[in-house]
Amino acid sequence: MAARFLSKSSSGSSLLGALGTSLLGVGSVARQTTSNLTYSDIFFQQQRTFIQMGTKLKVVDNSGAKRVMCIQALKSKKGAKLGDIIIGSVKEAQPRGKVKKGDVVYGVVVRAAMQRGRCDGSHVRFDDNAVVLVNKQGEPIGTRVFGPVPHELRKKKHVKILALAEHIA
Amino acid sequence: MRLEKCWFCSSTIYPGHGIQFVRNDAKIFRFCRSKCHKNFKMKRNPRKVKWTKAYRRLHGKDMTQDSTFEFERKRNRPQRYDRINTEKVLQAIPKISKVKATREKDHITKRLSAGRVNRRAEDRRELEQSISLVKAPSVLKEDATLTLPKQKVTVSYAQTENTPMEE
Repeated sequence: MAARFLSKSSSGSSLLGALGTSLLGVGSVARQTTSNLTYSDIFFQQQRTFIQMGTKLKVVDNSGAKRVMCIQALKSKKGAKLGDIIIGSVKEAQPRGKVKKGDVVYGVVVRAAMQRGRCDGSHVRFDDNAVVLVNKQGEPIGTRVFGPVPHELRKKKHVKILALAEHIA
Repeated sequence: MRLEKCWFCSSTIYPGHGIQFVRNDAKIFRFCRSKCHKNFKMKRNPRKVKWTKAYRRLHGKDMTQDSTFEFERKRNRPQRYDRINTEKVLQAIPKISKVKATREKDHITKRLSAGRVNRRAEDRRELEQSISLVKAPSVLKEDATLTLPKQKVTVSYAQTENTPMEE
């Protein structure tokens, strides 16, 4: 499995496999496929990266949107990490909600699959990529937040989201 | 600062090491190194993986119940800082860990002592059969000093009389 080692060492390289994932932006590709790939190989090879243009995120508040596609990660050329703000386009929404499909919204990343280093040296990572919709001032549009949120939000001054959260990781 | 336990192998995680994984049901898994993290991602059960503490405790290889474990129990109530108490605790920690280590070692020795007889018999058999790997049997025969260690063999039957050789 020499291909596996190559993929790990050169993070900038990209191999378009049968998945047909399209590459946008500067960030490295999440997966690569070779011919005889077992289920466990995919787990080993998955390199979690930033949230960049084209990333679909889950919306975890009750603002009405269900899925949001990132169109711009503010404040970083590489992409957004846990706790950053992104601009997204609503791809899927509940029928009666505050936002509709096709709206351009701001969001705060509350869960990211890519690990983020904490100030004590440890790293945290979550199971999925999730976002809470906010307005330009940073206040959440919805009134409830589901799932765990990290306490990185406190440093980023998203105190309202922390107040609404049911569990702080 | 808190010393955590790795979810997979149960070793202590010191600050600055390892990864914390938060699942969507808000359960936190802490891993001491990427080995444990990768095993977790492969969905391996630590109770079936031989080198983890969970396996060892489950299969009776390591000590499970002891009073020294009471000292390491997780306490969630923050305690007011008391200087004398802290000094006493800092002095007690090495003593407790020494006692714990000796007890664990004794547990393992006791477990292994059951098979000592078998191991000695096996060694003896190996010495008889494979001595040729060390030195050729012909060389051993020539040199009188190089003999195999004498073994006591209990003879159950009565000794036959030596009949004189008849020419």
